Amino acid sequence: MDSDCLSLLPAVCLVLADPKQSPPDDTSLEKLLDWFKELHIQSNGQVLLQHQPCLLEFISSVCTSKTTDPAIISFTLKFTGLLAATKQGFNLLEEGDLLLCAFEREACYVCDLWEDASVRSGWLQGLLNMLKHQNALDFICGNGLIKVVLQLQNDRSLFVASLANQLLVHILNFLTSLNMTNGSDAVGSSVSSLRSDWVSVSSEIMNAVVEALRSEDHPRVLLGLRLLSLVLSQCGEPIRSTLWKDVLVPLEVLINRGSESLTQTLMTVLQAAVRTSLLGQSEYKVEELLEAMLGDGNRKGVFSFSLSLSFSPEISKRKATGIILLPLQCVSTQPQTEVETNLVLNEQLSQKALCISLLMQSLSSLAELAHTKYLFEDISIHSITSSVVLLLRMCSGHYPSSLLHINASIHLIGCCKVQRCGLDTLGALSFYEENVDLRKDIFDVLLDFLQSPDSHATVLKKTFQATVRWIAVCSPFPDLLQFISHDLFPVLEKRMWDLRWEVRDSTLEFITQLTAALNGNSGFTEALHTSGMVSVLLSSLADTEGYVRASAVAAVGEAVTASFHQATLERNSNLLEKALTQMMIVLSQDTEVFPRRAVVKAFTSWLKGSHPLTALDSSLSSVLSLGGNDFDWEVKMHTLELAEVLMEKTLTCCPYMQNVDFSEKTCLTQALSRLKDFGLFDLLFNSLFDCDRPVCEKACALLVRLRTLTAETADLDHSALVLNVCGNRWGDEVQRRYLKKQQAKASVCATDGATGSDERTDSELHCIKDISLPTILQILDLNDMQRMLMLSSDHVVNSPQSLMEDILSAAQQSEENIVDCY
Amino acid sequence: MKLYCLSGHPTLPCNVLKFKSTTIMLDCGLDTTAALYFLPLPLVHSPRLSKLPGWVSKDGAINLEKELKECSGRVFVDSQPEFCLPEKELLDLSTIDVILISNYHCMMALPYITEHTGFTGTVYATEPTLQIGRLLMEELVTFMERVPKAQAATCWKNKEIQRLLPGPLKDAVDVWSWRKCYSVQEVNSALSKVQLVGYSQKVELFGAVQVTPLSSGYSLGSSNWIIQSHYEKVSYVSGSSLLTTHPQPMEQSSLKNSDVLILTGLTQIPTANPDGMLGEFCSNLSMTIRAGGNVLVPCYSSGVIYDLLECLYQFMDSANLGSTPFYFISPVANSSLEFSQIFAEWLCQNKQSKVYLPEPPFPHAELIQTNKLKHYPSIHGDFSSEFRQPCVVFTGHPSLRFGDVVHFMELWGKSSLNTIIFTEPDFSYLDALAPYQPLAMKCVYCPIDTRLNFHQVSKLLKDIQPLHVVCPEPYTQPPPAQPHRSDLMLELQPPPMSYRRCSVLGLPFRRRYERIHLLPELARSLVPSEIKAGVSVATVSAVLQSKDNKHVLQPVPKPAPVPPSKKRKRVMEEPPEVLNPKPLLSGAVPLEPFLATLHKNGITEVKVEETADGHILHLQTEDVLIQLEEDATHIICDNNEPLRTALRDLVLRFLQKL
Repeated sequence: MDSDCLSLLPAVCLVLADPKQSPPDDTSLEKLLDWFKELHIQSNGQVLLQHQPCLLEFISSVCTSKTTDPAIISFTLKFTGLLAATKQGFNLLEEGDLLLCAFEREACYVCDLWEDASVRSGWLQGLLNMLKHQNALDFICGNGLIKVVLQLQNDRSLFVASLANQLLVHILNFLTSLNMTNGSDAVGSSVSSLRSDWVSVSSEIMNAVVEALRSEDHPRVLLGLRLLSLVLSQCGEPIRSTLWKDVLVPLEVLINRGSESLTQTLMTVLQAAVRTSLLGQSEYKVEELLEAMLGDGNRKGVFSFSLSLSFSPEISKRKATGIILLPLQCVSTQPQTEVETNLVLNEQLSQKALCISLLMQSLSSLAELAHTKYLFEDISIHSITSSVVLLLRMCSGHYPSSLLHINASIHLIGCCKVQRCGLDTLGALSFYEENVDLRKDIFDVLLDFLQSPDSHATVLKKTFQATVRWIAVCSPFPDLLQFISHDLFPVLEKRMWDLRWEVRDSTLEFITQLTAALNGNSGFTEALHTSGMVSVLLSSLADTEGYVRASAVAAVGEAVTASFHQATLERNSNLLEKALTQMMIVLSQDTEVFPRRAVVKAFTSWLKGSHPLTALDSSLSSVLSLGGNDFDWEVKMHTLELAEVLMEKTLTCCPYMQNVDFSEKTCLTQALSRLKDFGLFDLLFNSLFDCDRPVCEKACALLVRLRTLTAETADLDHSALVLNVCGNRWGDEVQRRYLKKQQAKASVCATDGATGSDERTDSELHCIKDISLPTILQILDLNDMQRMLMLSSDHVVNSPQSLMEDILSAAQQSEENIVDCY
Repeated sequence: MKLYCLSGHPTLPCNVLKFKSTTIMLDCGLDTTAALYFLPLPLVHSPRLSKLPGWVSKDGAINLEKELKECSGRVFVDSQPEFCLPEKELLDLSTIDVILISNYHCMMALPYITEHTGFTGTVYATEPTLQIGRLLMEELVTFMERVPKAQAATCWKNKEIQRLLPGPLKDAVDVWSWRKCYSVQEVNSALSKVQLVGYSQKVELFGAVQVTPLSSGYSLGSSNWIIQSHYEKVSYVSGSSLLTTHPQPMEQSSLKNSDVLILTGLTQIPTANPDGMLGEFCSNLSMTIRAGGNVLVPCYSSGVIYDLLECLYQFMDSANLGSTPFYFISPVANSSLEFSQIFAEWLCQNKQSKVYLPEPPFPHAELIQTNKLKHYPSIHGDFSSEFRQPCVVFTGHPSLRFGDVVHFMELWGKSSLNTIIFTEPDFSYLDALAPYQPLAMKCVYCPIDTRLNFHQVSKLLKDIQPLHVVCPEPYTQPPPAQPHRSDLMLELQPPPMSYRRCSVLGLPFRRRYERIHLLPELARSLVPSEIKAGVSVATVSAVLQSKDNKHVLQPVPKPAPVPPSKKRKRVMEEPPEVLNPKPLLSGAVPLEPFLATLHKNGITEVKVEETADGHILHLQTEDVLIQLEEDATHIICDNNEPLRTALRDLVLRFLQKL
């Protein structure tokens, strides 16, 4: 522990225990607690308590005082629990009678403080903190605190109630874990194997759950169910099965009663049960209860339940899937006898709000199932996909010839929510290969949305996402290109002149994704270039909206990348040339950061590509210098990433890594001097002294790599790698450090008696202008810089010491502050 | 109360309301779609149009070569275009007292109504409606008079012949009511009958009803009207909009509590959302210009064009099309652009506040200043020398049958680089393009109709809760092309009353009250007596005087002391003899006390029988029946007047006299 902190601790304790002082804010107390927790993990509680008697005094004074602030009481309770988490700490506190003083039942009620929720929550949290060993459990059981916890389960504060539940579960768990030292987690091992006094504790808790479930009082039932699901999901055997046996009868009653307000909570309980070993065993009736719960799908709220049954047995899962699909089928398929009987659903679908929410649940559940490539058994994936397509058509006002739900379809016209959800689902359905047969219908409906003047910007975005997925899946089919160049491109071109910038932006993003998805497809690249799309992309670089320009930069970048694969070099070089010119304009002149960031990223991705681009070389040095001097730190970061790729590309082209001989050494020198010509070192050194920490960190990491490389290659030709250190910021710094180092060296020499060289070095240094790269890398203490940079920027203010100083100074100045305010 | 429906067109209404003693015409819209049956009138000689073959029936029996021409596979009438007028035979138009105009598009038939029909009434309209309406009429007249046609085709209208013509001429209806355009003199004379009104101004009509225009949000000066008497209220809603465009927003609250709401002028393209269409308009325009083509926008010279120009003002810069010129060509282009800037008080709040900056409310002023927007009265003159391509041309008429647009169709139609963008919803674009086929230029249909859609109107009606709604028939059923769209119709409870051309509707409410004033001296003479808590009654004897639809009760003039000298005075002049009225009775005869009273008076044998309305008492000894009912009492007693009188007095004991 930091000695500075320890010296402050007594004073802080005094301040906190002083009832006249107003308590520090909650965050400070929480931070303090966090720090103690950390200390506690690092050392053990005894050491802390033994060396800091002030802590015991603090606890005792707070607990005995009747005027302490609730926030401090709460803090103290949590803190005491924390200290008592080790046996030694517990014993020390026990010796001073402090535990009883803090947690004893009667002590809690002495004053009105208990009325404050934060005190109750602190009390529970303290016990929870403490419950790490047997003594703690004995303390809780022996003093009858269980009753208080059970009462707090019904607390009016939700936080307190939930904490009480957690504590109860923790106690049950703790009982089992103590027992498990000689048992195994097997269903059927009974509670009776526990110590007798603990049996009474566990049965007290479990009886409380059973009582709650039997109760007629709705909030109590809810509480019982919540605790039950917690126990099921967090406790092991034998607690789980014992409790389940006890609650089975009241639970069955509750499920069969079918109360809508309990549906959600009952479902959580069953979901928890499904995930346990109770599931397979017939006497626990989990499957039966599930069946009863799903019923005929007529109960409100079972839809979201059905979705989460991924762990459930196959039969329930199939049933659940059937229920999920019901609303969708009901709206978008022909009348069927089975569907017709579902009166509740029909009635719900004829009300607008319910209809929309049911369909959205159905669609999003379907999308999630599709993501797992769920195998539908009772219904073909074709028919499901057709239903979704039909639903989407209905959303844009198309009507199939015969429909069960005219009302439902009127609710759907122009409904953005269902449209978005449906398009997501349609996209997800592309996971099923068999659906490619439906591609014509699917592309038709997607095109409809893209063309419709009424499509909302968010709907268009979703349409684009779904289209990309389907195009990726259908890329082997020859009719796809026809669709893209004849149907899709004209629509895209129109969308690029949309009034809404969001639409222009998502169109450009879509083109980028499309180009990336079909990378290498020569037919597509051909179409992209012949359709005039590229020139539209280029003109989008001058859009009025920054985000759109950024997306346009990305799209042009991708189009250029795609064209590398194209044999028709002449036209492509023309495109590259145009793109380069415009992008350099954006990088140097654009007033917004997003387009500039995008330009640097485009260069990075070009450079990363497998095709060497000699045409880039001329622009790279300008990009590095413009990007490195940008005002935006992210542009600078992206530029450093570009520099990293450039380094990798240039340096790995010489195989020096394998076996160093003369020619490879030359090669490295050449590579480094090439990087020097690009201005890469200027960029790195400039960035090293940047005002933005991440930039410095990145530059430092790259320089460390360079240093390793140059150090490994012993006889590098230094003369070829000389950098001018005059006239720039980083140069001055290097000079200063160089000077310092030389002076240190000189002073060492002086103490050794070699004073003669001193004067010469000094005079040499003042006129030094050129230093070789390896030397600079050696001069700069990069390791130390890297260590400093890795500390977060608030590491000074964030220390426990500063926290305590804050608490103390706030206490001293509180009066002055009051005066200051007025 | 009756409604005579002279036009079946839902957005160009012409209805006559007979309310109390007044006859009020609500709008007089002119259906110009008939022009689509006619050949275009080219401004510049068109070899193509002048060499069209005449039409002869297949068997050669009918030869209408002079009247009908075949063009692009269709037959068109070769004559000055005609328009379908409101029905003139349904009622005598000279009896119309006033005409209320709701917006400048709904007054184009005014000269046909006010001139040559004996109309002597007043037309009420707001100032922008009058001024812009005048512009539109003058423009129409100019379009027609610039290209005079010697002949008027009438033979084809003969029923026997029309039956044999190819479609769609064969199916044209009411062709005999079609008339050619009016003259400037008729326009001037018609508009001289207009009296200007401002929003919320109350105008008394003969003391019987009060009419008030309310802002309807559709166009500059557009209004809905409230027609009300003391106890009845009729609202007339025509061409209203809830969108935020240039005009003042729609005033809705005053429409509440109407007995009848006449609802016309909903959007003609309910499936097209104006915002989406505006987006389509801009992106298509931009694509065409970028590809080096020209854009032709056939439009009216006022209205949506202001919003289009405003939208383009922002869009062109963002799409980097700043240097593309816009041309607005119309005989009234200049006045239209200028007028829009001076009607500040009729504009939306946002534009009104600009006036105080001071800035022109519409940004087209800046477009004109920077030479981006140029306007010309016609393609002749300056325009031909300053014309630069690619460009955007706004010009009329949207029917493509007359106006400068005809020339541009001939000029640009052959190139697929050019695009025509339809923004006006009044005409079917396919029919409009028919005489220009085959057409290489691209065609985009972006109808921008800002009037209320069905969703908005059902919300509005839910809010203002009229007792009855009257609307054109098409609003009561889904569009014929989309029979499943039950959301595109009015579904109301009670169902709306629908009308079509020539319908006469008896409006479903009876006038039950009329306000009558008591003169103070008469009021002073009244003696109220309280019959139950808070309710007093008094009898009044007075003379009712009705004058200018106002009713006044005056004291009965005292009989002048008859001067003995004037014995020869005529009987007619003598004041009516005033008899003292018998006192009125009120109250009920309670059964038990009455029986007790009878008993006291020696009538003991009474048999009481209960009936639906009260009781029948049979006085058996006297053989008399007394029927006690809620509102009447009868004593049936044969030939025993003293007994009857005695019984009557017993009954009267229980009643109060006023």
